[in-house]
Amino acid sequence: MNIIEKILFNHSVEPVKTISPGDIATVNVDRAIIVDMAALHPEFVDNPPLKPFDPDKISLVFDHYVPAPSIEIANRVNRLRKLVSRWGIRDFYDTGRGGISHVLGGELGWFRPGSLVANTDSHTVATGAFNTLGRGLGTPELMNIIATGKTWFIVGETVKVKFSNRMRKGSSAKDVFFNLASITGDIPGKNVEFAGSGIKSMGMDERSSISTMCAELSAEFAVFPFDGILKEYMENAGVSRYKAVEPDNDAAYADEVEIDMASVEPMVAMPDRIINNIKPVSELGRVNIDVAVVGSCANGRLSDIRDVAEVLRGKKIDRNVRLTVTPASRKIYEEANRLGYINTIVEANGLVTNPTCGACLGGHMGVVADDDTVISSTTRNFRGRMGSSKAHIYLGSARTVAISALNGYIKGDLNE
Amino acid sequence: MNNITGKTWLFGDDINTDLIYPQICYTLPEREKPLHAMEANRPGWASMVKNGDILVAGRNFGTGSSRPAADNLRKLGISCILAETVNGLFLRNAVNTGIPALAVHGIRDVLKEGDIITVDFRNSIVRYGDKTLSFKPLPSFLMDIIENGGIINVLKAKGLLGEPL
Ligand code: SF4
Repeated sequence: MNIIEKILFNHSVEPVKTISPGDIATVNVDRAIIVDMAALHPEFVDNPPLKPFDPDKISLVFDHYVPAPSIEIANRVNRLRKLVSRWGIRDFYDTGRGGISHVLGGELGWFRPGSLVANTDSHTVATGAFNTLGRGLGTPELMNIIATGKTWFIVGETVKVKFSNRMRKGSSAKDVFFNLASITGDIPGKNVEFAGSGIKSMGMDERSSISTMCAELSAEFAVFPFDGILKEYMENAGVSRYKAVEPDNDAAYADEVEIDMASVEPMVAMPDRIINNIKPVSELGRVNIDVAVVGSCANGRLSDIRDVAEVLRGKKIDRNVRLTVTPASRKIYEEANRLGYINTIVEANGLVTNPTCGACLGGHMGVVADDDTVISSTTRNFRGRMGSSKAHIYLGSARTVAISALNGYIKGDLNE
Repeated sequence: MNNITGKTWLFGDDINTDLIYPQICYTLPEREKPLHAMEANRPGWASMVKNGDILVAGRNFGTGSSRPAADNLRKLGISCILAETVNGLFLRNAVNTGIPALAVHGIRDVLKEGDIITVDFRNSIVRYGDKTLSFKPLPSFLMDIIENGGIINVLKAKGLLGEPL
């Protein structure tokens, strides 16, 4: 079995001999995460599960709408707060405390190697960086998990992605992902398992960026192997009880993709989608921008904010550009502050917001207008994603966004 | 499950959740939400859909977020979704709201919009004209959820849901 099959096997409700593609795995869930968006689902607030299977395995995280952008949403999320005492949940992260669930969960040790996580948000595949299976699910389905502690998966085939060498300075994990996406295209129902010597050159931020973005391939799971870097991360997070999972020697894969990270250059996703829509920045021609955004569960991490600060240090962004930078969690925000990154960005005329999903979902904190051209380090560029459906949204790495903000047009640079 | 017969609407590849359920739907009254389905890619479509119609699409249907996109289609009256491939999260959301979403290889290229087709669940085939295409059936426990009208009904029947917040 490969890593994915093995984790499903280890969580199987009924004893099974093995797990392979085509099987239906019924599994126990180690942690269920509810985000504030659940407040916008009438079935959840009107008829929430009577009681959770285990209150200590439930997390409630406010992230999408922090702080609430309207009276309507403020009222709705207040209803969600009642869950904390009703269910006796310990892991509640209100505004000002936590951050985006896919980032916060890593920081707090919720994503234990070898474990299985369910979350109401589609980028839950982010947990794969932690050798953890995570699936984004609809709110009604999460209600079922909260009530029963169980769910099911139709086991898909797995694509093995082997990384070699290391990234050049100036290219980043987002570019590596774009490279991957341009090779695989969409892979609905399939999994990704990462391997290869290149992994050891990537920190948890980079791995998380890549696993998070695999939601855009329509992948079920996208999992990294366990290694010394993850081990050390878990130690620092104060987590020692877990069972990391390695692939068997005879593990089966449907396909194998090799990526030489040293050959990856800065790339962008052209407006409206990622799949079949990737271009190296060097081939883009001149695209002037109005808006630049750095943030999201994929690329609002400390290393992203650092990249932005490095690019902007001592400079001013182009006078026609509005730059918004949104750290993904309070911890990142504090660190970025301590290291002077936030000040650097503010001095360059960038706007730094509180941790939230914000502009990524077009809900608040930088909603874009008709005909705005946007370069963003967020996860998705579906039409209308960040506000107006008449905006043109390009996606790139945080570094590419920062360099573009300085220049007023989309620019990536291997030397800058 | 009985056969579903209906008139088809055709869509292309990569139809995503944000097209099916635009961001603004979240805070609209329930009955208005479905009327915004596909307004960015096909304005006016939602108001033309009739109860029982079947949606046929290309690759990777329903890619995107966990939002209740399938609800919007069900509330418009869509009875069944057939696509070359279906995003896994969308498939779950469709089942959990009570409509089948099936991957039917080749379906997108053999139909004209407006064709009347029949989805035959017992034989796992789609009948169009005098031809057929076969599909891999959904596991029976998922068909049970669909026949119960979605997971919320199942949870209610089991007494697992509580008082409003
Ligand atoms: S940052 Fe964007 S992609 Fe990530 S959870 Fe928030 S809205 Fe979703």
